[in-house]
Amino acid sequence: MIKKISLLLLSICSLTSCVVVKEYEKVYLNDPDMLLSSKKSNKFETSFQVYREAASGANGGKSGGGCGCN
Amino acid sequence: MEGNLVEAAVVINYKKTMKKIIILSILFISIVGYSQSTTNNTEYKKRVLETAEVDIISSFYTQDGDNAAVTGGIGTEELKDIATNFVVSIPLNDDDVFTIDATISAYTSASSSNLDPFDVSSASSDDSDSDNKSSTTNYQNLATNAASPWVESSGASKADVWTSLNLSYSHSSDDRNTILGANVSFAKEYDYTSIGVGGSFTKLFNEKNTEIGLKANIYLDNWSPVYPTELDSYLDDNQNLNDGHFENVDILDQNGNTIDKNGANVWSPFKNTLVDNNSRNTYSVSFSLSQILSKKSQISIFFDLVQQDGWLANPMQRVYFSDRDNYYIGNPSSISNYTSPTNTDVFQLADDIERLPDSRFKLPIGIRFNQYINESVSLRTYYRYYYDDWGVQSSTAEIELPIKISDTFTLYPSYRYYTQTAADYFAPFEQHTSTEEFYTSDYDLSEFNSSQIGFGFSYTDIFAKRKVWKLGLKSIDVKYNSYKRNTGLKAGIISAGFKFVMD
Repeated sequence: MIKKISLLLLSICSLTSCVVVKEYEKVYLNDPDMLLSSKKSNKFETSFQVYREAASGANGGKSGGGCGCN
Repeated sequence: MEGNLVEAAVVINYKKTMKKIIILSILFISIVGYSQSTTNNTEYKKRVLETAEVDIISSFYTQDGDNAAVTGGIGTEELKDIATNFVVSIPLNDDDVFTIDATISAYTSASSSNLDPFDVSSASSDDSDSDNKSSTTNYQNLATNAASPWVESSGASKADVWTSLNLSYSHSSDDRNTILGANVSFAKEYDYTSIGVGGSFTKLFNEKNTEIGLKANIYLDNWSPVYPTELDSYLDDNQNLNDGHFENVDILDQNGNTIDKNGANVWSPFKNTLVDNNSRNTYSVSFSLSQILSKKSQISIFFDLVQQDGWLANPMQRVYFSDRDNYYIGNPSSISNYTSPTNTDVFQLADDIERLPDSRFKLPIGIRFNQYINESVSLRTYYRYYYDDWGVQSSTAEIELPIKISDTFTLYPSYRYYTQTAADYFAPFEQHTSTEEFYTSDYDLSEFNSSQIGFGFSYTDIFAKRKVWKLGLKSIDVKYNSYKRNTGLKAGIISAGFKFVMD
């Protein structure tokens, strides 16, 4: 398990050596649909999933605590 | 002499408190002063948030199924929930943003109504013990025996309201490469209270192509437990089946015969202690790493380390053991039909509430990858692997394909697949044995998979020309999701979000 996580982190870290995209070249990346997080309007969708499923977290939201769920 | 000592102690405490206040004040003034001075030294910098923003999100959720945890893994799971969330983000200066996030969520639930299945009273019952939902029972109804896991009762536990307030503050450095944040939260529902604090640190480098984030949160939660009515009443009535809740009520055995309440073979709960530790604490640390891969693609990886301690079981949820005799209240001829939704008039008395370990470690790891395909279409993907030390492992895969149909309208079709293994402590209705240390019949901890299909649209006006009071409408998001679990649970949620910016 730890090995897999380490491998994954190493792979991601190695991506930092990719070509650097300049600020003025980020027009596509700055599109709201390219946001690297769950959208605000998905708040309650995520909330019911936290209640109805055993797994939670790793999506920028809560991973337990704050309600009598999960 | 004693009086002087007390007086001296009070003076010392007062001095200590004053000292703390003075130190904190100096620290605060220093931080603000430093922030001001750095601001003055900078010729120009773009504000982190140009103007105040208001987000309002409302949702309506409904579900139904046949595996209610409150009635031991069988029974109606019908539930409806209406919720609204307000988020106000206020720029305090060029660098600092203060955010107020408040939510109110109100539900009605058939399964939680069966905390007391014999209850026909209302929440406004004048029962002197009105601080306990399960004790607002109209005992006369218990004698009429019209209860079943498949029928909603009308008592106080049928509905509840969850409210929460989260205040957060963030500070960005002049070069916008460092962001510090702090937050406090409070949440309350009838039987549960939560206080949380957290902090976050984000660093951007590599010309803002790489971002790392670290977030820590602590939730100090507390149960005000409510229990299945028969367990609570039995203990309240000094374990006397001829008094209080059970007075003049016939208890039936598996064959439908009325038992002798003074005899040797009578119903009794498996344990005479219920929740003995009201606290439930969660400690979480979240890491994130985001990387721009090209002009049109980027990736992010998140993982959390979560430790929970305290009473992690839900005290409302019944468990029935296969190695203990069964006892009922209601119509004897319906006992053979107990697990069928056609049973409307017999209810089985619980053996115990669910019991789970007082510690749980969770490790979710998620990856998000987004690709800008062309001017009309983007691709959003997400995968999460989850592990915990209760034996649950799960995978979640999600894909969304935003399609721009005009400058202002975008469509959002999406699909999500989820699968999980069962917790070590799960077994269905009447399949646990009393020799087990931990047990639950909550199907949210069972093995299952689910599919969710969603469709939404958004309207965006970057100039926010439409006004409501001093607020300009920037966007509207509407989405419907249909959720189906292979255990039979079906759910649907429709949500609408409105984003406004202050003039």
